[in-house]
Order: sequence, then structure tokens, then C-alpha cells
Amino acid sequence: MAEESFLADDFLRQLMSVGEVDLLVGIPSYNNASTLAQTLQSVEASLRQNFVRERAVILNVDGGSADETRQLFVQSAERIDAGHKGLTSLRTVHRISCEYDKSPSQGLALHSIVAAADLLRARACVVISPTTTNLTPSWVANLLRPVYRQGLDFVAPLYVRSRFQGLLARDLLYPMCRAIFGQRIRELYSEEWGFSGRLASQCLEKDVWHEEAVRARPEAWMAITAISADLKCGQYFLGPKTASPTGTGPDIVEAIRQTVGNFFWCLETNQANWLSRSNSQPVPTFGPDHELSLDGIPPSQEKIFDLFRSGVSELEPILASILAQDTHAQIKAIALSDRSNFHFAPELWVKTLYEFAASYHHAVLNRDHLVQALVPLYRGRLYSFLLENANSSAEAMETQSEILCQEFERQKPYLIERWTAKR
Amino acid sequence: MKEVVIQGLSQAYSNLVHMFAEFLPRLLVMLVIVLVGLLVAYVLKTILRAVLHVTRLDRLSEEAGASRFLRMAALPSMTELLSRSLFWVTWSGFILIGISVLGVAGLQEQISRLFLLLPAIFVAILILFLGLVTANFLSRAALLAAVNAGYPSPKLLSWSIRFVIWALAVSMALEQVGVARQTVIAAFSIVFGAFMFGMALAFGLGGKELAREFLERNLTEKKREKHEEPQPL
Repeated sequence: MAEESFLADDFLRQLMSVGEVDLLVGIPSYNNASTLAQTLQSVEASLRQNFVRERAVILNVDGGSADETRQLFVQSAERIDAGHKGLTSLRTVHRISCEYDKSPSQGLALHSIVAAADLLRARACVVISPTTTNLTPSWVANLLRPVYRQGLDFVAPLYVRSRFQGLLARDLLYPMCRAIFGQRIRELYSEEWGFSGRLASQCLEKDVWHEEAVRARPEAWMAITAISADLKCGQYFLGPKTASPTGTGPDIVEAIRQTVGNFFWCLETNQANWLSRSNSQPVPTFGPDHELSLDGIPPSQEKIFDLFRSGVSELEPILASILAQDTHAQIKAIALSDRSNFHFAPELWVKTLYEFAASYHHAVLNRDHLVQALVPLYRGRLYSFLLENANSSAEAMETQSEILCQEFERQKPYLIERWTAKR
Repeated sequence: MKEVVIQGLSQAYSNLVHMFAEFLPRLLVMLVIVLVGLLVAYVLKTILRAVLHVTRLDRLSEEAGASRFLRMAALPSMTELLSRSLFWVTWSGFILIGISVLGVAGLQEQISRLFLLLPAIFVAILILFLGLVTANFLSRAALLAAVNAGYPSPKLLSWSIRFVIWALAVSMALEQVGVARQTVIAAFSIVFGAFMFGMALAFGLGGKELAREFLERNLTEKKREKHEEPQPL
């Protein structure tokens, strides 16, 4: 119970009236009145069908919704109680709703959830996003069960991906995290994940909740905290994910600022842990560890290449202060090459990213600016990927992804060398 | 006649001796003050340098981009620059006090004026430094945002922001030290007004098509462009 003082009195009163629980389902919300009822239905059904004897609480943490999200949470829960038939839980499933702030923040929402988990001594917790429209009861159970029954501390989801979707995760976040922290967790940045009460308490004790990186994307920080503390991590295959139109996610610039900025910050704060690690290990995986669907049309590529080329030229002095001379020269050379033969090689991509990470560590310029300077280069890599994989099979793309991961692992000593170099 | 000359010479000699007798102790005092000043300035420089190392000012200056400008101007690091400035300001103060002890007629007033000007010069340097840092930070932020959003002429936008902030900082600094106050204000108003008018003309008339494209892109095409790129996560 390290830090319950930031919780509002009313919220604390509600938590105390619940007592201790085994399971906690956290639902962060912000203007989700249109999808919340469906989410709640799936959560309730999952708890009643899969955790009959367990004490459970559903916690809605709201970021100041202007619609009737919070009222809907209470009302729909009452309707579910009244109308439920078939197998039911032997215990009351408690419902609590609170407003953590007047504006939405993933970090503040998670802070309230972990504080509640700590106070209620929950053994297993799950965060569920109300923007996921195809959430089924099995998703909730699949993220809770490995924590509750198999003693895992962090469970990431695995989704079926369209081949042109999630390239930032596939080309940068997953391989880089795997090489540096040594655990093969594919979906570090997701809206659903499970975690143990033990991990919640450890996270609550850390004085980082005010940090912008944690406020924006707390889920990856939580995973990396678990890895760094040598807690058990795993992943569960959930199937395809469909987001509601209001939750399509940030654009490329915002996504890079949030995720790469957060990841570099995690490197900085956990350096004592990863500098001594080498190689990577698979984590317990329930179901297939990847699945690519071949649907989806390739996006327009012309504009992506133009943005890469102009970015390399316009940001030349900034890139020169971040990258090694040789790397910068190679990038300038490929930016001048013919667009139909363009190739951003994995070796160059990995080297570029490691130099960015080291420059972030040495703070060669404002860190947010440094992360933004990566956007044009990511576009170059994206263009190269789209050009080379227009007609590739799922297996071929997975093979390429594995080659990239190995390249990240192979070049890790280069990162350490640049990271530890005195400037 | 001879006696008058000898008396005059003896009077002059006695005056000279008297003057030297009066001046030499003052000179000695001045030298002592200058030497003590040198010692105090050196100690202050060492203390400030240590404090700035602890507060990692150089890293802050590097992050804000001010260090790059210092390197371009062949100046030392921010910590070194500030500690050396403190050394020279302190020692100069002691030298001026020493000179005033000499009691040379005419110098007293000039020294008092210089003393009155010192704080203003210090504030002006601070304004210039803050202007440099702010201009660099904001122009770089604008450049990155414009490049990543695919706007045309990002460097022009970036340099415009830098120029406006520099002009503002320089005019504020000059006004602070009281250099041709009226002229500086008038010059700044003319330069700034002309710049903004020129920009408006260039954008509205010369770049009519560009302006239309810019507004269309921002008001109607933003959502469509966002989805041209695949979902990153």
C-alpha cells in the first residue's frame, strides 16, 4: 500500500467496501459510451464462466469523458446482473468507477489500476480496452489465467496482423527490445495485457509516474520492469483485433514519439540491467507466436519515399549530430538512389537505430527532437519494406523479420560500445 | 635671478617628491587591490565551474543546441564561458576600484558610470543567451514538425522563427544597455514590420497557389493523408 494517497476519497471508500479480491479487470475509458456496454458484457461473461469461485472486481478508470461512459458502466452492470442466465459466479463481481483526471492519460489510468490492485491485494489483473470491438470472453480469461494459475507476472497479447499493419512494432520495437532485453515478447505496445499483483506492487513503488514516457505508454514500461526484475513473462495468442473508428490509434509521428521515446527512456532507466545481457530467450507462448494475414491493400508508396528523401536533406545538420559520419553518408547515398531500386538494408537500419539510442543516452540534442528526427528514416525503411514485400508470402515476411531480429542481436555490442563511450 | 630659478626648481622638486610620496602608497594600494581581486576572481571562477559541472549545464546547453553555436563561434563550453565571464567581471570590478583609489581627476566619474553599466551589461548578455537558446529550440521544433508533416519549405519556416527571435533578443539587449534606445526600437519595429509584411505578401500574393494548397491540405486533406501510411502499431 505504498501510494494510495493520490486516490480520491470516494474511490478509496469504494475500494475499502470491496475488501480483498483475487482478480481485477481494469477498463480505462474516455468517451467510450458506444462500445463500453459490449466490453462489459464480455468481461462479465468471462468472469462468470471461467472464474466461478474467485473474488473479482471490475474497475473503470475514466479520463473525464464528456459522454455518459461512467453512468453507462454502472447501469449496464445492473442490467447484466438482472438478466444473467446459466453458469454464474459463486461470488459477487464488484464494480467500481472513478475519474482519475479531467483529461485522458494511459499512465494515470494505469496508476489508479495498480494502486487499486495493491490495495485490494489482487493476485491477477488485466487491462482491457473498450475500443476493441471484437473482444470476446475468452480474451479476458486468456490474459488472466496464465497469471492466476501458472504464476506468470506479465502476459502480452498476440494478434493476427495484416501484412502491412504494425510495421513499427515488427521492424523496430519487437526486434530491438528482443535484442536488448533478451525476451521475445512481440506486442509490447498493446491495449490489453495481464499482470500479477506482485508486478503491480513493484511498479507502484517506482517514482516514475510523472514521467512523460510512462504517462503516454505505460504498458511497455511495465513489461520492461518485469523483465528487468527477472519476473516471468509470457504471451497469449488472442486472434484478430478490430478497433472502433474512434480508436484508430495515433499517426506515424505521434506513434514514434510515444513508443520509441518511451522505449529509449526505458533503455536509459534500465541500463544497469541490459548492458550485461546477451542473446534472447523465447517466453512461454500460448497458441501460435505469430500470424500474418495477406489481406489489406499496400498503401501509397510514392509519398512515403518523397517524405524520406526530403527529410534526409532538410534535417542534414540534425542527423549529422546524431549519427556516425559513415552511417550518415550511407543514408544520404541511398536517399539519392533511384526509387525503384531503393533498398534500406537491415544492417544499416540496425546501426542507425543503435546510434539514435546512444545519442539519446548522451543527450546530443533535446530528446523529443531526437526521436522526431527518426521519422523520415523510418519512412525510408517502410518504403523499402513495402517495395520488397508487395507480393511476398506470410512465411517469407516472417523469415525476413527473423533475419532482422538476428541482425539486432548481432550488432548489440556496437550499441554497448557507443552507449558507454565518453563524449 | 639665479636664486629665483633655484627656488623654483627646488619648489618643483619638493612638489614632485610630495606628489610621489602621496601617489606611491595609492599605487601600492591599487596593486594590492588588483592582486586581491585576481585571487577572489580565480576562487569565484573555480567555485562556479564546480557548481556548473554538478548541475550538468553543459548537457543542458547541448540539448538546447546552444553549444553548437558556441562551437561555431569558436567559443569554449557553456560552463567554461560562464566561469571565465565571472572571472573577468570580478577582476575588472577590482581593477576599477583600484584605479579609483589613485584619485586621478576625471577618471572618477567615468568609473562610476562604468560601474552603473555593469549590471545592465550582464542582463543584456543573459537576454542574448536566452534568445539564442529559445530561437534554436523553437526553430528546430518547427523544422522537425514541418518536415515530418511534409510541408513545403520547412527551412524557410525554421529560419523565419529563428530570425524573429534573434531580432527580438538583440533589440531587447541593446535597449537594456541603453545604446541608442529610440533608434533600436524604431529599427526593430521597421525590420519586424517589414519582415512580416514581406512574408504576408510573399505568401498571399506571390505564393497564392502555395497558400491555397497549404490551407486545403490543412483543412480538408489531413485525415486522408494520415491513412495513406499504414497503421504503425
